[in-house]
Amino acid sequence: MIKKPSEKILIVAAIIGTMAASTAQAANWLMLQGTERDAAAPRAKVWGFIQPEYSSTSNTPLQAGPWKGQDAIFNQMRPNLKSNKGFNVLRARLGVRGTGLPLDSNVNYFLLAEFGNNGITAGDNGSAKLTDASVTLNHIDGARFRVGQFKTPGSEEGLQAIHVFDYINFTGATNGLLLERFFDGDGSAAGDANRPNGSVGAFRDIGIQMFDTFKVNDWEHSYAVMLGNGNGINRADNNDSMETYLYWSSEQVYAGAGARREGWKLFAWNQDGKRTLTAAGAGEYDRTRSGLGTTFKKGKQRAGFEYITADGMIFNGSDGGAVPGTLNNLGTATASFNVETTGEADGYYLHYGYALTNELELDLRYDVYNRMTDVAAKERKFDTLTVGAQYFFNKKSRLIVNYEARNAEAPNLASAHAANQILDGMDDRLSAQLLIIF
Amino acid sequence: MRKFYKSLIMLAAMAFIFPVHAANDFAEKKIVLQISDNDPFKQTLVLNVANNLIKHYGQNKVAVEIVAFGPGLRLLFEKNANSQRIDGLITNNVTFSACENTIASMTKILGHTPTLHAAAKPVPAGVVRIIDLVEEGYTLIKP
Repeated sequence: MIKKPSEKILIVAAIIGTMAASTAQAANWLMLQGTERDAAAPRAKVWGFIQPEYSSTSNTPLQAGPWKGQDAIFNQMRPNLKSNKGFNVLRARLGVRGTGLPLDSNVNYFLLAEFGNNGITAGDNGSAKLTDASVTLNHIDGARFRVGQFKTPGSEEGLQAIHVFDYINFTGATNGLLLERFFDGDGSAAGDANRPNGSVGAFRDIGIQMFDTFKVNDWEHSYAVMLGNGNGINRADNNDSMETYLYWSSEQVYAGAGARREGWKLFAWNQDGKRTLTAAGAGEYDRTRSGLGTTFKKGKQRAGFEYITADGMIFNGSDGGAVPGTLNNLGTATASFNVETTGEADGYYLHYGYALTNELELDLRYDVYNRMTDVAAKERKFDTLTVGAQYFFNKKSRLIVNYEARNAEAPNLASAHAANQILDGMDDRLSAQLLIIF
Repeated sequence: MRKFYKSLIMLAAMAFIFPVHAANDFAEKKIVLQISDNDPFKQTLVLNVANNLIKHYGQNKVAVEIVAFGPGLRLLFEKNANSQRIDGLITNNVTFSACENTIASMTKILGHTPTLHAAAKPVPAGVVRIIDLVEEGYTLIKP
């Protein structure tokens, strides 16, 4: 059992001690993902990455409530929620990007598919899914247009290229508020597990984005304005409302280029739209997300901070912390995923990384997620301290090991309340992941 | 007075000829680099090779000319992502030649004449330019 903090620290120290560099990148993701290099891009560059991983918790069962003694959802491996430990190929992506007609740098394209086992594919029995399919038109100075399915301009953690992400798992706020699950109902219908009706949003949408970057001395100022469906990926819209996205970043560039460029970036973003439920709790609900933050990378050091706030359509876990679809001990109720259609939430994360050598980097992240802050009885606070190490075999291959010391509480309820007993059973999580980019 | 005009004409002629050949006349090594394919990696590579030659021999002791033709002409497009590196090499006396045959065929495809880097010197045919330079004692390298 991995429970006591002292044990956790010892384990992390041991892991780090056996390992021999990262990236809260100050990179320009809008340009890196949406455009190609002028007159220097291939017709078709084939690329991709694979992320096999191992993850483990102690599998502490639910300590109270109608599902007491059964598996706790937060101690199971994503996305299948059937085991507390094991191997998984989380991501296996293959893509192609380029200019089509190399003589015309004004038209670029980007195509990427997911073959791994995660929230994108698991909702459809693991079949491969398209994650990105977009065309960018660069004909107008100051107003490039990207059309199709692609990452939306927003949170740094979601917008950044996943293959340079310093950690294995997303922070609580990003996972809970931004990695959107789409449901037909709010979870209140008896006997219905209310599972997602498709892929997670994966920080992507289908729509049109106007964007560009302006260089002023050693600063780069970028903007993006996007209109999208707000209904996830690989399907058309389901209501008459459009999702709006606004993004601004200003970055002082120190050195380098690409995803690992050194610089100091400030950014802010907003996303606003409506979600339509057709089953329990049917109706149309407002959903707003906003955030601001900064990233820094220079020499051996990198750091990041972001604050995220949310209003409406708050993903609210599962009944009693049980795995959705399981019956309670009396056999009278089925656990379901839940959405609070009018709730509020916020969260933040702090990150610091230090490259001891060219091969080894140590990372430390602290994140807090406050769910349902507008209803005292429903409020839940999650905080996680992640200690990590990255060992770079070469520029394209690395091993990441993370130890997450996870805590959760219902701050407005008594410590003996069933909710707090259940949350006390949240285990720490040990994960290791290999990443190969090609 | 006639002597003065004669001197003036001679000076003008020298001024016209001298800058064109100045970099070459005293060079101990003469290299022509060919870029003729579409691979962006090759663009970077040919510029790296030119830079390494200048660093190794010194800019006054080596004459380097990069001849771009076929798909390789993209290197000399005005907005090429490597244009700052090209500017840097030009200040080190590296010269760039652009094939007019390629320009003509690209004009047909694009519907307009591609805008080239201001320092790109048009030559009637890239391959003929290479042959001429080799006959002048240049060594051809195709990175």
